[in-house]
Amino acid sequence: MIILEKQTEKKNLYQRISQDEFSVNKIKTSSMLSLNQFMEAEKRIKSKNLKVGIFLNSDQSLDCLKDKLELFSIIQINFKSFKDGRPFTMAKELRKLHLYNGEVRASGHILPDQFVFLLRCGFDNVEIDGKEKKEWIELYNMDEGLYYQP
Amino acid sequence: MYKYSEKDKKIIAGRVKQFRNQVQRRLNGKISEEEFKPLRLMNGLYLQLHAYMLRVAIPYGELSSRQLRKLAEIADKYDRGYGHFTTRQNIQFNWPKLPDVPDILEELSKVEMHAIQTSGNCIRNISADHLAGLTNDEVEDPRPWCEIIRKWSTFHPEFSFLPRKFKIAITGCENDRAAILVHDIGLKLIKKGSRIGFQVFVGGGQGRTPYIAKKINDFLLKKDLLNYLEAILTTYNQLGRRDNIYKARIKILVNQLGVEKFKELVDESFKKLSDKKLELNETTIQKIFKFFELPNIKHCNEKISISSNQKFNNWIKQNTIPHKILGNSIVLISLKSENRPPGDANSMQMYKLANIADKFSFGEIRVTHEQNLVLPHVKNSEIYEVWNELDKLELATPNIDLITDTICCPGMDYCALATARSIPISQQISNFFKDYGDQKKMGNIKIKISGCINACGHHHVGNIGILGLDRNGKEFYQITLGGSSKQDASIGQIVGPSFSSENLIIAIKKILQTYQKNKSSDKDDFMTVFRRIGIEEFKKNLYDNTGKTN
Amino acid sequence: MSANDLLTGKVVFYSPGGWSFRSNDALKINIKDIEKFQRIIEEDEKRCIIVSPEFVELDESGHIKTLRDKIRNSGVTIEI
Repeated sequence: MIILEKQTEKKNLYQRISQDEFSVNKIKTSSMLSLNQFMEAEKRIKSKNLKVGIFLNSDQSLDCLKDKLELFSIIQINFKSFKDGRPFTMAKELRKLHLYNGEVRASGHILPDQFVFLLRCGFDNVEIDGKEKKEWIELYNMDEGLYYQP
Repeated sequence: MYKYSEKDKKIIAGRVKQFRNQVQRRLNGKISEEEFKPLRLMNGLYLQLHAYMLRVAIPYGELSSRQLRKLAEIADKYDRGYGHFTTRQNIQFNWPKLPDVPDILEELSKVEMHAIQTSGNCIRNISADHLAGLTNDEVEDPRPWCEIIRKWSTFHPEFSFLPRKFKIAITGCENDRAAILVHDIGLKLIKKGSRIGFQVFVGGGQGRTPYIAKKINDFLLKKDLLNYLEAILTTYNQLGRRDNIYKARIKILVNQLGVEKFKELVDESFKKLSDKKLELNETTIQKIFKFFELPNIKHCNEKISISSNQKFNNWIKQNTIPHKILGNSIVLISLKSENRPPGDANSMQMYKLANIADKFSFGEIRVTHEQNLVLPHVKNSEIYEVWNELDKLELATPNIDLITDTICCPGMDYCALATARSIPISQQISNFFKDYGDQKKMGNIKIKISGCINACGHHHVGNIGILGLDRNGKEFYQITLGGSSKQDASIGQIVGPSFSSENLIIAIKKILQTYQKNKSSDKDDFMTVFRRIGIEEFKKNLYDNTGKTN
Repeated sequence: MSANDLLTGKVVFYSPGGWSFRSNDALKINIKDIEKFQRIIEEDEKRCIIVSPEFVELDESGHIKTLRDKIRNSGVTIEI
């Protein structure tokens, strides 16, 4: 998997932790935690003044995190299906309502045709299969920047 | 009429290019059918029983003669020489080939047309009163508002993957001809003191669980329109159900939360997320309104003269309405002739109609949600000539609002979802009631026919609604009575067990007998009588005689 | 076994010679062999030949059973 930010491939600085290897004490700034892992580790993250990544699925609500967003250096929202459009609204709310200015990443089942929509809603980058990179960049370049919405 | 800006042209051209790329990727196997489907649907391309179907948008039902000619040309070049006008004021071609579709879209873009968002789980073509801007009872012309919403909703980055499709309709009149109360959002322009704003209704719809929309805003300021729509869509996109396609429309969400709670969430989102950049200022609004000014129509005292030709007189009585400019008429063209499926027109009719529109109606044509067409501005002095031309084309059937002016979905003859045919039923009705005098005796009455529970033929809101069902491999038809899509909208009630296609006409006849018997004056139309006597009276007559063995 | 042709959307039937526009050519398949044919379907979907595959039910005398399939086979029932 690679990280693509507009046309540029970016290094992934975060690792997800499987449930077997998970332990509250091992959490680092490069950890990408699931919602459950985060809840378990919340106290330590706060006391150690850490900033971590959080990994949400498209059917998980942001509501329970809205007062804790300063604890995250990145929020990754994973599409269960490209047809599930909730993450577009989640990203908008992160930016416009909660004024979150960390990194927001999309992953999961997404299509290159959605790239520009994702960026316009507030995502910074996408996690995709390296084999599809050319296609994603091609569709990104096809966009002429003409939109009806602000 | 609206004219594309340079930006509009570029956006549409960009989409054609993008769709060409998507079709290419599909054909060479880079994307699967599952992935291609939402992409093609967003460009109005379906796969039906026998072929692909392309649905072309006719925003708020308004067409120029040039556009109509292009549609005729496409019908001839890429299809089988005809098109089907739909209840969302669009047109469908039933036989395009997949590799041709990007070419068709490119040709359409030359006349400022497209197929964007005519399908898929996104905001669909905005529909409007087909008499917008033509009558005196209007608060304000809804078309400029449709155009403003069309722009905002086109390729909306956030709302292109909604839980389900999303339909918006606007009326500028108390007398609702746009069926706003059976839309996901219905907007009605109203006057409060000297100010004009919108009443907002939400959560109406048909399908397997029909609902009448509920009011959530009594007076929305014009400047806030887009921010308020955005608040409704934000709420829906987050909370609408995605686990069950039949429960995914906004009507289900509104009813599960309760309209008060839903309104609260929308108001909150509106308050917190409203974007200054989405606010509409007077200059922007005026600029759009400019496009929709009436052409240079002459005011005069000329009345339509009675002719010795009874056919013409009937047509005048049934298919014309006085224009707000004295001396002119609005001509309704029925696409419900005896011989063609409701809403169908062939390429020859389209070409010639375009010529008629150029000669007599400032090159304008409109499509109604009842699957008819309109010539919006015809001089009374030229109306006989117009009739004569239309009559030659079999486009002068005098039946607007009468029993043979049915609304009808394509049914199992075309549609992959249908459970029964609907076009043959409408043809049976046309044949049975072909005499104008007989029809006139029944007064205004809406029969609406759907070939399955998805209700594309609007049967729930037909005065008489007919729903085609499959019972052990045989087509049966359930009848509902008392539906209406007007300002007094109501959902029809089921009369009882369904009828075979042979018995259906007998049943309709009996329903009409009950109506005739219970009329207290000649002015009583079907709905008045139905609302007075209730469904039981109809049931009694219906099943006592035909029995329940159908 | 039936589907739509990917390019034209037309109804096709699986015959001994591959997919055919004529139902007369169609191969009649016993219900117990269905699995084997499902693999052909998957393969031909991947090869971008067909789309929307389905099995057409026949009655004992070999005629198409449902009205929907009859219309798929014989075309629109109304004059257009």
